[in-house]
Order: sequence, then structure tokens, then C-alpha cells
Amino acid sequence: MNQAQAVPESMRNLLAEIFEISPAEVTPGLSAGATPAWDSFGHLQAILAIEEAYGVRIDPQKVPELTSVGQLMQELESLGVSLNHD
Amino acid sequence: MSQGQHWREQLHEAAAQGDTASLLKVIRSAVAERADVGDYTLMSRLLKRIGRDEASRAGLRPVRVYIARSVTVESWLPYLAVEAAAAGFWLETKVGGYGSFAQELMSPEGALRDFNPDLVVFVTDVEDVAGGLPDACATGKPELVRAEVERGVKTMEDMLTAFRHHHRARLLVQGLCVPDPPVLGDAGDANWEASESRATQRINEQIAALCRRLGDAAFFDENRLASRFGKARWRDERMFRYCRLSIAAEFFAPYARALTHSIKVLFLPPHKVLCTDLDNTLWGGIVGEDKPSGILTGTDFPGNCYRTYQRYLKQLAARGILLAVVSKNNEKDVREAFRVRAQDLALTLDDFISLKISWQDKAVSLRELAQELSLGLDSFVLIDDDSVECEAVRQQVPGVLVIQAPREEPWRLTECVMASGAFDTLSVTAEDRARSDEYRAQAQRAQLENRAASREEFLASLQIVCRFISALEAPLSRTVQLINKTNQFNLTTRRYGTSEVESFAADPGGLALALRARDRFGDAGVIGIALCRTQDGTCTIDTLLLSCRVIGRGIESALLWYIARWAASLGANRLAGEYIPTAKNQPCADFYPRHGFRPAREAGGKQSRICYVLDLATQMPEKPAWIQTEEDLNNEPGPSCARVNEEFAR
Repeated sequence: MNQAQAVPESMRNLLAEIFEISPAEVTPGLSAGATPAWDSFGHLQAILAIEEAYGVRIDPQKVPELTSVGQLMQELESLGVSLNHD
Repeated sequence: MSQGQHWREQLHEAAAQGDTASLLKVIRSAVAERADVGDYTLMSRLLKRIGRDEASRAGLRPVRVYIARSVTVESWLPYLAVEAAAAGFWLETKVGGYGSFAQELMSPEGALRDFNPDLVVFVTDVEDVAGGLPDACATGKPELVRAEVERGVKTMEDMLTAFRHHHRARLLVQGLCVPDPPVLGDAGDANWEASESRATQRINEQIAALCRRLGDAAFFDENRLASRFGKARWRDERMFRYCRLSIAAEFFAPYARALTHSIKVLFLPPHKVLCTDLDNTLWGGIVGEDKPSGILTGTDFPGNCYRTYQRYLKQLAARGILLAVVSKNNEKDVREAFRVRAQDLALTLDDFISLKISWQDKAVSLRELAQELSLGLDSFVLIDDDSVECEAVRQQVPGVLVIQAPREEPWRLTECVMASGAFDTLSVTAEDRARSDEYRAQAQRAQLENRAASREEFLASLQIVCRFISALEAPLSRTVQLINKTNQFNLTTRRYGTSEVESFAADPGGLALALRARDRFGDAGVIGIALCRTQDGTCTIDTLLLSCRVIGRGIESALLWYIARWAASLGANRLAGEYIPTAKNQPCADFYPRHGFRPAREAGGKQSRICYVLDLATQMPEKPAWIQTEEDLNNEPGPSCARVNEEFAR
């Protein structure tokens, strides 16, 4: 299993559109610092999109820390979202 | 494959092929069938990429939008770009600063002026307009609440009045969202005279009144939308406190769609003709099979759903929307149904301006109807329950707006028509209300024309009277409506708002003229506009247009006759006119040559246009013999009135 496959397909597609990259580039290691479109606005859009897609509400105090795909996935899992079966 | 991925693949494919028309088609479908956040993000990016020129070639109207705001708007901007594109607009957007909206709106210079917008949208929150309201309401002192309401209204008034003083852009002002839950609790707020909801509504009413006074401005009622979708979820207080996002993400699409409807009424006239199918649309069942006695309509369910829809059509007709039947049926059955079920129907056959009941293609019926009424197909809406018929019309007559009636859910009929926004309008003019009488008169004229021996005799028998009045008193709203909706007989198709018309009237040597026409069959109301400037011996006709339903009776010649006399009274010896060809204004292509104008050398503009001149010393335009004229023009300098009156005396 390569790294990209660890990110569920729907999440890969969603973040790819928001960060203007290809779905294959959306790996758990993808981070704000290394992604031009992942600026503060892109970050807010990603958070809103993920909340809508998974039906969760992320605590705003945690939002600034979730600056990689891996951290976003971890947060979703801590909110009870199961990311294994997509 | 998920629906989202399905759209994304089609979008990427259309974009990769550089095919803007099919990209727009996918966008319209995606929007109609609930796209997700990723789709909207992608669609807005693809729209931005095609650019202004290509968008314009593909039939979208480019609009530069400046958003003055005190809240976060960036998150829903992609939705607005996409919804606007689905409605025919290509938006180029610039957003102002959070804290600088007042300065941006009130200053004659700066970012707003530099951007040169066609439209300014002002989005704000109660906190920024009447921030003291909850505290005032909590005191239980009506005088404190009143003072806070007045302060809020004055804040808005100062900003927007100053804006209109400096800027000509159209304006969309979002009203305040009534805070919920209220500081006094539900029972207190409902009963107390100076409650938070009453106070906020009062501010909103004043903003709406202000928009009416300013001109080219509309009030956008966010509070109504919030109520429709549910106050408890409309605002996500967490996100509002975190980043001033005032609308929950789940409502971005309906919010953007509602904004688009309001933008649309500022730029485009409403559709004019509603064509309804009969079976399983105007009534339940099929008249040819179920017999007139078997169709569903009346006071019992589900017939009452259809009756509600019929009543809605009647309401639309009352404000000038023309109704027509477009149905595949035997006309005999239909007439019998309207006769024997008259008690159960809210409409009679007389409520329809035309009946297209036959077995021919609906596309053909619609084209015939457009010709009979002298209206463009883009002013037609078809409501039909049959998906195949709907798709056929969409493909064969692309201008027509097609709404598929929900056959299994007749209680949604009215809602479906309303949700399209096709008949949304800011105001209803007297001409609107009189329109269906006017079209009936048109039919009577056609009969007379068939009987008359010659065209001259026919025109003389009409007893046409043209009355020249100031475009400011047409009234001005009617002038602006005509300027923005007239396509066929419009020499330059320049779209102006109230302020531009006012400047033609106020400028020395300027003329803002409106023409009212009536004949023995009825008063057509104000149907012609001309905007001119006379300077250094030349009168330049900037805008000249005529409502298409009066073309062919010499009224356009009377308009030119009046302009020439007015120009001559100011010492002009030349008339300069221009024709800017568009996809629709072919009917007036020969207007200037027909009146003796010669082509002039092109002024070197970018647009393709043809300039004409007429030397008044050698040829003075004449008034057709069969037309009588009257005048009541106050914004004119004295000599011209005198001159024209002399003319009448002869």
C-alpha cells in the first residue's frame, strides 16, 4: 500500500480540488507549508469541506494546528469517523 | 462512482477540450442536481480560467462585482461564481477589507473606484450597523431601542447615499438577519413592542425604502432566507465567532442562488411569457383519455394542488406575465374541459393570450408564438411534466427556460416556478399591468390589417398618436427598464442605469426623450426612448430604441423627426447616429440608411459599428402623415418647444 492510498478516495478528491493539485499528490504527509494553495483561506475551505463531507464539527481551537492531511485524518478519527472503508 | 466524481470527470473533460459551451452545460446540470463542495471549487476555478472574453463569446454576461463587507465572504464566493454562471453571468469579483467598508463605499476615490465595478454588493452584520441593539432591547426601554434603530438606519443611509453620489454601479444591499435566539426570550420578543426582531425588521424596511430611493439598487433579504432554511442552523455561531463567517457552509449553495436571483433582477428583465402544458401540469390526468369529467382540478386533493398552480398563473397574469397554452391535445377536448369544468378551474381560456393546442412539436409551437407576439424566445418559459418534451425544447429552442413540472408531486408545481426566479422583478410598472391588454389589441390590429385595402389605409385607420415626454417622467423606472431589456429595435444596445439617463437630461445640449404611443385599440404606454447630445452643430444619437411590439407603424420615423427638430432648435446642422450590430438587433439595421443617412467614416472604436450622418440643411426627417403628435417635455430649453409647437400649428 503506498502512502496515497492511505487517504480515502473521497477525501483525496476533495482536497485535490481545494488545493489545486492532483488526487495522487494528496498523501498523509502533504502539509500546508509545502502546498502553495494551502494558505489561510485554503485552510478554512478545507476545514469547511471536510466538516460538510463527514458531518462533523471541528473545535476552532484545534483548527490552526491541523496543517497536514495526516493531522486532519487523525482529527476525523478522534471525532469518531471511520476512514477505512471508503 | 460517486455523483461528485462523475461531475468532476465531465468538467475536466470539457475544460481539457476547451469547449466552453459544453462546460457551461455540465455546470448547469451539476448545479441543478446538487453538486458538492469540491465540485463548486473546481467549477469556479474553471470559470475563472476561461476568462472574460471567452465567457462573453459563450453567451455569459460579464459583470464586475465589488463586495464591501464586514463578514467573511471568501468561503462562498466560489458558489456565487458558479450559480451566477448557471444563470448567465460571468463574475469578476473583488472583496474589500473587513473594517474599511464604510470608507470604501463613501469615498469617491480608492479601491472601489479603481476596480470600476458594474455591481457593488454590501454584506454586513447587525453588529456593524446597530451593534447596541441587543443591549438596548435588554433594558426594556422603548426610547433606547428607537434611538438605536435610528442610529442604524442613519449609518446605512449615510454610507449608501454617499455611495450613490459618487458611483454609478448597481447596488445590492444585504439586510440584517434578525438575531436568534432573542435577548428577551421567545415570549418576550414576540410580545414586547420594542423587541429585537421588530427593531431589526424596522431597520430592514428602512434599508429597502432607501434602495428604492437610490435607484439601480436592490435590498437582499437574508433574514427571509434564514427563516426559510431554519434560523437554528443558518448561522454556525462557532464559525462566526472564529472567523466571522455569517452563514453555515451547508447553505452556501442556496444563499449564492438567492443572491444570483437578486443580481439578475438588477441586470435583466423578467421573462414575459409563461407557456404551460395541460395534462398533468395545469390539471391532473389526461383529458383525451380521462375525459373532461375525469381530470383532476378543484377543491379536493389532489385537484386542489393544480388549482393552486392555476391561481398562481392568474396572479402572474395580473402583473403582466402573458399566459399561453402549449399542449399536445385535441383542441375540442380542451375547450370542452374548460367549459364543463369551469367551476373547478381557476382560469378560463380568456386568461390565455394564445392557445397552441395541436400535435406538432412544442419547439415549433414556441417559435410560432414568439413570432405572433414579436417577442424573443429568451422571454419564454415552458412548464411541462414530460421529461422528453422538456429535453427536446431545451435542445431545439435553447433560449426558452424549461421547467419540468413534478408529475408525482403536484403540490410542488408553484414552488418550482417560483424557485426558478424567472418572473422575479423589483417593481411592477403600469405598462406591465397593461401588457396583456396591449397584446390583445395587437391581435385586433392584425385583423384590421388583413381587411384594409392598403398599408397606408391600415396605418391611417389606426389613428396613432405619439406623445413626447421627458424620459425622467416616463417614469424613470420604465425608461431604465426599456433601456435594459430592449434587444431587437435598439440601435446601440447601451445599457444604462438611472444616473446615466439623468445626466443626459441634465447636461446642456442633452436630451432624454421618451415616447408614448396610443391608437384606437389602446394605449401602448411608453415604448420608445432616445438619448442625445448636441454639441458644436452636431446632434449625436447615443441611444434610440423602440419596443418591438410597435415596430412597422412609422413610430420610429416620428421619433427621429422629433429629435431632428429638437437638434435644429439648438442650432445643429447634422445628426450623427450609429448602429452597433448584435445577435438580435437586425430589425433596425437599415434604420439610418432608410431615413437618408449616409455612412460616415468609422470613429476607430474597438467595437464593430457603423456610423451615419444626416445633413439637416439638405434633408429634414419627416413625420409620417398618419401619425399625430403631442408634447409634454419639461426638461427642454424653451426654443425647441416653441419650434415644435409651430410645427403642430401648421
